[in-house]
Amino acid sequence: MNELLGTVDKENIVESSCFLEGKEVTASSFSKANRHYETVARQTFSYIFLNVGKHKSKHNEAHLEIGDKRLSGFLLKANRVLVCLSAKDTNIVDVRAHVQQVQRLMLKAEVDRMLA
Amino acid sequence: MKDYKILFTGSVCSGKTTAIRSVSDIETLDTDAQASDVTVRRKKNTTIAMDYGVLDLNDDTRVHLYGTPGQERFRFMWDMLTSEFAHDAIGMVLLVDNTRKDPFRDIRFYAKEFGDYLRQRRLIIAVTHSDVEPSPDYNRYLSELKGLGVMTTVMFVDARDPRAILGVIEELISAVEREIDWDKVSDRLLDTNGFSLDFYKPLYEETLLDAAMNKRGVLGAMHLGDAHDVLCSNIDDASVKTLLLNIDRLTGAISDKASFMGAVNNVVLAGPDVDTLSVFNDQNQALCLRSDKAISLPVLKQQASDLLQWSIENDYMA
Repeated sequence: MNELLGTVDKENIVESSCFLEGKEVTASSFSKANRHYETVARQTFSYIFLNVGKHKSKHNEAHLEIGDKRLSGFLLKANRVLVCLSAKDTNIVDVRAHVQQVQRLMLKAEVDRMLA
Repeated sequence: MKDYKILFTGSVCSGKTTAIRSVSDIETLDTDAQASDVTVRRKKNTTIAMDYGVLDLNDDTRVHLYGTPGQERFRFMWDMLTSEFAHDAIGMVLLVDNTRKDPFRDIRFYAKEFGDYLRQRRLIIAVTHSDVEPSPDYNRYLSELKGLGVMTTVMFVDARDPRAILGVIEELISAVEREIDWDKVSDRLLDTNGFSLDFYKPLYEETLLDAAMNKRGVLGAMHLGDAHDVLCSNIDDASVKTLLLNIDRLTGAISDKASFMGAVNNVVLAGPDVDTLSVFNDQNQALCLRSDKAISLPVLKQQASDLLQWSIENDYMA
């Protein structure tokens, strides 16, 4: 997990990232100074995707702008969320494209693991 | 012949076109087109390129008046005006519409946008529409500007009145031109241009929801008050409505508990096969939108921010 986060963090796009399973953080690259963003992300995205599930909605990404930062949550599986911290003015299309690329890498890694 | 230039800027409907027209000795060049977005709430036409007028102060002195378009999407014209047409202007006049929900936000915005330009020239803040909305008053402007570290002259003007706009021009030009007979210019302008209250006819017809629905890609809107109460809504789907209300409450809770991190500006929910749902917060209100997934987030943000700036419940709106 932690090595995957190394590929998620990318200069000028994603400053820090973490994986959530429900309300739990399973891996994180948030620095101590940025830990409060992780806390907000944990509570926000677990609440949002719980609500999304309750309403049988198909939304699978959420973005929260707070101060001069943006937290993006991407629902990967039923209960797993990838959280990305970016500067507020980072192009969201770049964040989205980067996460899609990471998702492809994750999928490939999983397939390789299964075949091994 | 001595030629001076002055650049007028400000938000949509702040009175730039009217101000230039009221003092120009020539038929002003204005490039109005029918407004296609939030400005329909305020007026039907908006400047899309620039305004241009000329004022003769005497036989030897002339002032060229340039006006920027108000809408941010014509920002390229701002660059063109500041780097080419009006790069050598003596000063800039920022027209501030006092009926805006937060006029100081406009000042902060334009002071930042034109920061480099203003380093080399004088700024005058000309407050318009104070006949419609007298608050904030002169003293409040002075105190807010002091807080912002902006040392400048503030003048309350009626953009339709050539005497008032001439007063602003005098404030800039008299520092370098001492031979102008300003009373004479004023009398001449009143004779030729007159003072007509018909110049500017604001329209306060559309509600926030109507204005939101006129936006490209917006499928539904809900306006929430300070206590997360629904002020008005045209979102019928109960599930979508509940989801948006829950998100709004969540943003309230985060703002309360993590205020040191800054305000929660917005939350957007998206997905590949669903409408985008968003909540935009602005001080004591929020605008929730259901929009087509094809509309980009930056466009959505700009539209929502502009809509909320007009949403003040003034007496004149009643």
